[in-house]
Amino acid sequence: MYSQMAMEYLDRTFRALADGTRRSMIHALARERSRTAGELGRRFRSAQPTISRHLKVLELAGLVERTIEGRVHRFRLRPGALREAARWIARHQAFWQGAVDELDRLLSEVSSR
Amino acid sequence: MTAARTFAEVRRRLAADPVAVFAAFADARLVGRWLKPSPEIALTLLRFDFREGGGYRFAYRLPQGRTVIVAGTYRSIVRPSQIVFSWIIEPPDEHAGIESEVTVTIAPAGDGAELVIRHEKLGRADAIERHAGGWQGALDQLAAILAKGG
Repeated sequence: MYSQMAMEYLDRTFRALADGTRRSMIHALARERSRTAGELGRRFRSAQPTISRHLKVLELAGLVERTIEGRVHRFRLRPGALREAARWIARHQAFWQGAVDELDRLLSEVSSR
Repeated sequence: MTAARTFAEVRRRLAADPVAVFAAFADARLVGRWLKPSPEIALTLLRFDFREGGGYRFAYRLPQGRTVIVAGTYRSIVRPSQIVFSWIIEPPDEHAGIESEVTVTIAPAGDGAELVIRHEKLGRADAIERHAGGWQGALDQLAAILAKGG
């Protein structure tokens, strides 16, 4: 059974993905094994608190994991949460694709009568 | 793997005028005949109240015997060009309880119509933020009234 927690996770994942900067951060992390908060800040030319906030949202959504080495916070992508979100999208994409085929068929039946 | 897209979207040019396409979403007898992903799935309209603020509840009986129930509210209806409704799958389902939103846009195109169905996951987190925005507006008004009175 799908737990309440998993559902809330998916909710948070989508919310995290709804932001352009955060999506770019995911792309950057997808190309590298890991990045430090400082590297990400330089790359996105953003103030460190802004970057930290984005990383926190991504972390809560289960999209990235953080390891702390002394004063350095290092981030790594967790593809599992992305796969969950992709599955939700694929399910609804297939639903509407099929439904529109059905609609097309119905409309041609109605108009040929 | 990347996830640039956070929505599902389908576009289709249909050989029917926008009014006929709109009717397919608005008329219960028509809805029951097509609003499902394949002919093998049986759709039963448990509730269908097509007006702004009205709700729907659809039961999809899958070939394997399982039934999936989807329900929602019509948030905005602009005849014959746009329909916005919420979309929530009921438990038990792996995606149960996630409130998403569907926007249907119907535009004239040549002799027919172009239909765009965009399904977005807005999520409760966003709803909370929207409500927070509403509260902010109410508080600003209250502050303005108090400032005038004082």
